[in-house]
Amino acid sequence: MEFVTPTINILIVLPVLLVAGGGALLMLLELFMAEERVKQWAPTLAIIVLALAFLQTIGLWGQTHTTFTPEGSSPMVILDNFATFLNVIFLLTGFFTVLISVNYLPRVGLNRSEYYMLMLFSLSGMMLMGMANDLILVFLALEVLSIPLYILAGLSRPRPESEESAMKYFFLGAFSSAIFVFGIALTYGATGSTALPAVLAGVSNGGALALAGVAMMLVGFGFKVAAAPFHMWTPDVYEGAPTVVTAFMSVGAKVGGFAAMLRVFVSAFGSLGQTWVPAVAVIAAITLIIGNVVAIVQPNIKRMLAYSSIAHAGYILMAVAASVNSPDGVSAALFYMFAYLFTNLGAFAIAIAAERKLGEGVMLDDYKGLAKRSPLLALAMAYFMLSLTGIPPTGGFSGKFFVFRATLEAGLVWLAVVGVITSVVSGYYYLRVVYLMYMYDGEGELHTKPALLTAVALTVLATLVLGLLPGAWYEITKQAALQGLQVLAGG
Amino acid sequence: MVLIISGIGTLIFIYAGGYLQGDPRIGRFYVMILIFMAAMLGVVLADSLLLLFVFWELTSISSFLLIGFNHESEQSRRSAQQALLVTGSGGLALLAGLILLATAGGSWQISVLLHQQTAVTTSPLYLPALILILLGAFTKSAQFPFHFWLPNAMAAPTPVSAYLHSATMVKAGVYLLARLHPVLGGTGEWFYGLVIVGGITAVLGGYLSWWQTDLKRIMAYSTVSALGVLVLLLGIGTKIAVEAAMLFLLVHSLYKGGLFMAAGAIDHETGTRNVRRLAGLARQMPFVFVGITLASLSMAGIPPLLGFIGKELIYEATLEPETAVWQLLLTALALLTNIFLVAASGVIVIKPFLGQPNEDTVQPHHPAGLSLWLGPLLLGLLSLGLGLFSNSTLVAKWLLQPAATAVYGHDLVLKLGLWHGLTPMLLLSGVTIAAGAGVWWLHERWRQGVMAVDAALAPRLGPEALYDRGFDGLLRLADWLTVRVQDGFLRHYLLWIVGTTVVLVGTALLRGKTAVMPSQDLIPGPNEILLTLVILGAAWMVVQADSRLAAVAGLGVIGYSMALIFILYGAPDLAMTQFSVETLTVILFVLVLYKLPTFETKDSTPTRLRNVVVSLLVGAMMTGLVLAANAIPASTHVTDFYSENSYVLAKGHNIVNVILVDFRGLDTMVEITVLSVAAVGVYALIHTRKQQQETAVEERRSES
Repeated sequence: MEFVTPTINILIVLPVLLVAGGGALLMLLELFMAEERVKQWAPTLAIIVLALAFLQTIGLWGQTHTTFTPEGSSPMVILDNFATFLNVIFLLTGFFTVLISVNYLPRVGLNRSEYYMLMLFSLSGMMLMGMANDLILVFLALEVLSIPLYILAGLSRPRPESEESAMKYFFLGAFSSAIFVFGIALTYGATGSTALPAVLAGVSNGGALALAGVAMMLVGFGFKVAAAPFHMWTPDVYEGAPTVVTAFMSVGAKVGGFAAMLRVFVSAFGSLGQTWVPAVAVIAAITLIIGNVVAIVQPNIKRMLAYSSIAHAGYILMAVAASVNSPDGVSAALFYMFAYLFTNLGAFAIAIAAERKLGEGVMLDDYKGLAKRSPLLALAMAYFMLSLTGIPPTGGFSGKFFVFRATLEAGLVWLAVVGVITSVVSGYYYLRVVYLMYMYDGEGELHTKPALLTAVALTVLATLVLGLLPGAWYEITKQAALQGLQVLAGG
Repeated sequence: MVLIISGIGTLIFIYAGGYLQGDPRIGRFYVMILIFMAAMLGVVLADSLLLLFVFWELTSISSFLLIGFNHESEQSRRSAQQALLVTGSGGLALLAGLILLATAGGSWQISVLLHQQTAVTTSPLYLPALILILLGAFTKSAQFPFHFWLPNAMAAPTPVSAYLHSATMVKAGVYLLARLHPVLGGTGEWFYGLVIVGGITAVLGGYLSWWQTDLKRIMAYSTVSALGVLVLLLGIGTKIAVEAAMLFLLVHSLYKGGLFMAAGAIDHETGTRNVRRLAGLARQMPFVFVGITLASLSMAGIPPLLGFIGKELIYEATLEPETAVWQLLLTALALLTNIFLVAASGVIVIKPFLGQPNEDTVQPHHPAGLSLWLGPLLLGLLSLGLGLFSNSTLVAKWLLQPAATAVYGHDLVLKLGLWHGLTPMLLLSGVTIAAGAGVWWLHERWRQGVMAVDAALAPRLGPEALYDRGFDGLLRLADWLTVRVQDGFLRHYLLWIVGTTVVLVGTALLRGKTAVMPSQDLIPGPNEILLTLVILGAAWMVVQADSRLAAVAGLGVIGYSMALIFILYGAPDLAMTQFSVETLTVILFVLVLYKLPTFETKDSTPTRLRNVVVSLLVGAMMTGLVLAANAIPASTHVTDFYSENSYVLAKGHNIVNVILVDFRGLDTMVEITVLSVAAVGVYALIHTRKQQQETAVEERRSES
């Protein structure tokens, strides 16, 4: 029997390989170098790896490639503008995470050399999420994304909160992954394939089994993106995990989940839209309500941002629900995630600056009088809060605008109404931060180091640009959205 | 509008300089009010709907900051928040409405949309778009039932109230309606929506205004009333109504701005705004007195002030509709409103300025400075001047005619004058003034009664109470959700996930409708029935067990029985796997449980019942899945491939073996590698733990 090698184009997966390779290199370095030296060099190395991957990714914009094609089947990996755009999001997430971690980790006594390694591994999984053209690869990417995160959540061992959060995250994550795999199995049973183009072709005749598969995958994705009612882990884990990990998770893991969800649901399950769109819409509405309402009473900024991240998952889900019946759905989701990346990481950067010791200085009351102590950072925080609320001129507003428009175009008027009302509710807790910063007196120092300030400056700038010139950027997301689906439909 | 914004804005600037003299935060105040001014000009000048919305929200935010300017006081923080929530939510409704409008009209440019009236009004999106836009405009312009935020917003420093909450921001809603009237107007929905809401607001605002005791609250409610009149007029939408609206907009901005500034001056100099504690101010503050008198006369609509002309036009507009019913109704509404306004002007001027001071009243500390009286006086004189020269080219042709034309959508020629002869309008004006004077005469006597009625009704019926209750409810809901849903118990989180999965998959199965009953050969024989009974018994044992070990044993029994079923259906390899997995699981369980304490408490019966229900549902879901899978004919090409090629290609008789070591040999190897690495890892972990324990022991020894 001859051994058929699948055609592999390394160039396509080079960004992923670079990121994963960087992680492996860090792991190996520990064997040969003194631990202190490794710790010293790890952030720099991570930045270099991310920069290289970023350049490579940018170079691939506008191109469409497929690779890892088994004989007689569809390619496992696809790189189109959709994947490239998402890779840019992931690499930027990694970049900002490094910037905000450099000084934070030593300060709170968590400077473990495995941190950057695990982060890079998780990033490589996220990148694969957007590139996966086969359900098996989606699952693999999902696990590569998740497992390092389980460990990262427990990084500040032996702090009980951190251990508890890692434990909960792991158990629930493993459980929902199991449901997800079950969904893949059912889909395979119904369509006879796990390759997305074949699934697309067969799913309409898949009957109840295919629908059940879709439902179970919805649960799996719902867990990853923290949609209600699969969101319960989020506040506990976000609170317990070290803040930098929370920041990384709140953007990376969420966008990663949506990356695969968009590709699988919108393209492969697109023909079943009549069935899953109502379900996604209802989940989006519940997510919006729970996230925004419960956030109001949270006294802890990390928990508040956790619920806020749940709420934002709801807005992105709105776009997902709209993406079957509106040509703007996918691009709205992409734009929203792009804007969310900067705004949320920026807000977390300031939360990190305000954290005195591990787990101290994370209450909302600690933000009292911030405006007097550090007017510029308070202004930046206020700007991020406005952006998260969706008030112009911010990237958050542009994102919400595109999402609402897509939702209305898709005829989901009631969902848009829920979105609008919950946005109003969200103003209450976001503006409370502004309020505490500007209208009270308080004390406490801020830890501002050049790296963190760079992150804040860049995220403010990006949020502002997305708020002032949304049109140009929307065109880019539009390109990213269209190609991703066309290729799949044809392939 | 631009003229109003910048003109009054300038006066406010001078005025605020005096009002906030010595306040260290005056710099911040100026910045905020400049931001607001820019935003407001943006709203008025924007041609793009989106841009308009952006500026619209900016006015809400700057207004929030300005209302909360005295942020030490709980009251002003609350008011600021309330104003932001009400106008902010309206703003978002507006956004949705504008998106729909742009979709229906095919453009974001207002100048383009102006020619799309038919396309827009016949579009199916028209009604939702109209409702959403009206919501936005009504919240901003404090229309019933959203009017309550405006009087509360009076917690803001007076310059802010004068500028934002009478002359400009609250007019933004009216402006928007006026702007979009050529596009959206002319339909029944437009007419009823605006006339009803505007009418109620006008009368209610007027009614609430005259018995208040706080100067600023009187003015706030009369502002609400005036805004109602404006909306009402735009709703009527005829030529004269539009003219009246534009004129009244100007009239109101002039006199209300003046009144507020005067009220601020009084507050600043005497320290109170309570009309019952003010008297005889005319002598101490002559310029303020002249200003406020002129403004009040204009509000009351006494000739020859501009307000009189405005009122005449309003009556003319309400007398215009075809049907007598509407004529009567609208005129009655306008009449009632104006009577209240006359009374309110009386309350504002007569007692505080002309009344006899007694021991209760407060005297001003010092006369008001130039900057404090310049604004009110100038605006008052402007009301007078424009009234006298209303038929001049300047007022009619240059100022109001273009505005009215833009709103009406067609060219029109405007003629204004003080004297039109003996018309029904003049008669109505007379009635208004007389009745208004009557109400004022009685207001001291009526106030007690009205206040009592209000105190009894408002907490239960008022929209503000509704808002408060909604707000409290939201907080309580949030608390409840946190405690109930987010209780930190892993098992409850799991329950939610499982429950939702069951609902989703169950719905999918029901919608799929392909589940079939098992075919004949699946009817169970005696062996299967026996095993099923054993499984059921074991399951009962698991649930009832008092110790964990017993529960695990029960689970084991279930597992082994399953393996037996596999054997019965001719799958010995599957059964072997099941046996080994089951054994391993039981061993692991026992090893772990050994370290755990025994059950201390058992769950309550309802909890257990809930668990039973969820478990049964999961069981039902799995059954459904199996049946659904059964309904799909199994694909045999993989099976055929292996049975044909196992011997030919790999020279093996056992297909499973061949798959493991040959066809998928690479997989097997990698899996073994992974397992070994994992084993090494586990060993390393155990080893480090042992080392740690040893070092700990040694440390303790060395310590002792």
